[in-house]
Amino acid sequence: MNWVGFTTLVMREVGRFFSVYRQTVLPGVITTALYIVIFGFTLEQRISEIQGVPYTLFILPGLIMMNTLNNATANTSSSMLQMKLLQQLPDLLTAPLSGFEISIAYIIGGTVRGMVNGTLVLLLGMLLIQMPVKDPLGTLVFIFLVSWAFSSMGLLLGQLAESWDQLAMMQNFFLTPLSFLGGIFYSIKMLPDWAQTLSFINPIYYMINGIRYTILGVSDSPVLISYAMAISLTLLFTMISILLMQSGKKIKQ
Amino acid sequence: MSSPAIEIKGLKKSYGDVHALDGVDIKINKGEFFGLLGPNGAGKTTTINILTGLVFRDEGSTLVFGRDTVSDYRFTRSKIGIAAQEFSVDWFFPIEKLLFFQAGYYGIRKKDAAPMVEELLNRLGLDKKKNARLRQLSGGMKRRFQLAKALVHDPDIIILDEPTAGVDVELRRDLWQYLRNLHAKGKTILLTTHYIEEAELLCENVAIIDQGSILKEGSPKALTQELGTAGISIHIGNTNEKFESYLSEYIYTYEKNRLHFSVKDPDQALPKIIKRLSEANVHINSIDSTRSSLEDVFLNLTGKGINE
Repeated sequence: MNWVGFTTLVMREVGRFFSVYRQTVLPGVITTALYIVIFGFTLEQRISEIQGVPYTLFILPGLIMMNTLNNATANTSSSMLQMKLLQQLPDLLTAPLSGFEISIAYIIGGTVRGMVNGTLVLLLGMLLIQMPVKDPLGTLVFIFLVSWAFSSMGLLLGQLAESWDQLAMMQNFFLTPLSFLGGIFYSIKMLPDWAQTLSFINPIYYMINGIRYTILGVSDSPVLISYAMAISLTLLFTMISILLMQSGKKIKQ
Repeated sequence: MSSPAIEIKGLKKSYGDVHALDGVDIKINKGEFFGLLGPNGAGKTTTINILTGLVFRDEGSTLVFGRDTVSDYRFTRSKIGIAAQEFSVDWFFPIEKLLFFQAGYYGIRKKDAAPMVEELLNRLGLDKKKNARLRQLSGGMKRRFQLAKALVHDPDIIILDEPTAGVDVELRRDLWQYLRNLHAKGKTILLTTHYIEEAELLCENVAIIDQGSILKEGSPKALTQELGTAGISIHIGNTNEKFESYLSEYIYTYEKNRLHFSVKDPDQALPKIIKRLSEANVHINSIDSTRSSLEDVFLNLTGKGINE
């Protein structure tokens, strides 16, 4: 194991997104603050409690999850694609680093960004609407698992993508719809039966309900299934991204 | 006997129906300055990309100090520093930090890399720009930064892919001098170029590559003597009927008091020709010679110029 090379790449990846924090950290916090203000002052007057929880409070765990997974995915996917398009990747691929080391270093970079964003939104909720956190450790575990899983997924998307357009397509047609349909703004019990059934095959549904349980103590699905799903996705995407990196697909000829 | 710095045997690589490399063999000894000379698309970059792990080989072996570049990649890559032809672009970090990152990838901690980073920035005239981003550098500075990146982990083998492509004459001379200094320190250098002059001036040995095959290998002088021809033009003041019999062993033309000889080695041939003409009592007014170059060799081997 090339530990110095590995930690250097981790520091590069973390330093990369912190160097443009206005683009990578602040937007999620500002958007969530807007959600809280808009929903708090308008919709909450008209929407009754869901599962005994005021509406603004109900949606916050979902917003934490959305920020976490969007940022984790964006970090690895954009960094990898950028390195490919700007000819930086040969510097890594000609260095004495293994595919495993490169993958894990990238994934850690994305995980840190996902966790920073998720935790900041969590703190914002606690600060602005005094959101209670029932199981803080469980919440952080969920933020960590989701960050890692989606950071891994972002890495493989970045490796396979050949243009920014392709990445944006994945974000707009896949990740964002799945997040919204995962129950950020509603309980799936409010949906018709067929839509409820469809939600069960959406992995993000389990992530949102898992973190909602650790924060508010309410959930549409058993928390153990949410944990199992988060761990399975983490392992699956990690393995695929490592194997893809080792194969050199789309990055070596 | 120690293993060669680089040994490539029977290297083949195809992209679909296109044979980029068709059985390349190259041996470069430790401390040698070696040039891979060929036109664009000849297979130079593919060869070095296979050596450094950017391209998968189809067939053949690639060894660095006797160890395989695939199964023993950590060892072989740590021995090589590569300055790629294409500039990389990084928007996020100043160039000094990029050099520390590069050293780090090769397992060198920041505190251990600091003296080398400082020396390279100074020697390559980049010290005043160490806090600048790459996009703020001129083309020449970017080229020097590429070299600094290749050298930051103090590799034994330095691979330079078209190191002076697109740089002005002054910088080209500076870079040549810098490369000579590195060679004098015992570094093995593999240079790919399509500038004949560059290979002739710097390299102890060159291999001429075209369409994925090595056509000829040897020192520039030996190749020139073997395959090149030089011209010697002698303007004579008087003639006599018999003088041509003194020159029967040479290939020459004679027109308007000008004798033009085509010889392999002008250094050896010229004194003999002068002696013969003196024996024939021919008065010599002036002598011009055009030296043979690798360009002639390339032309003879491929039937085309290197930039065609």
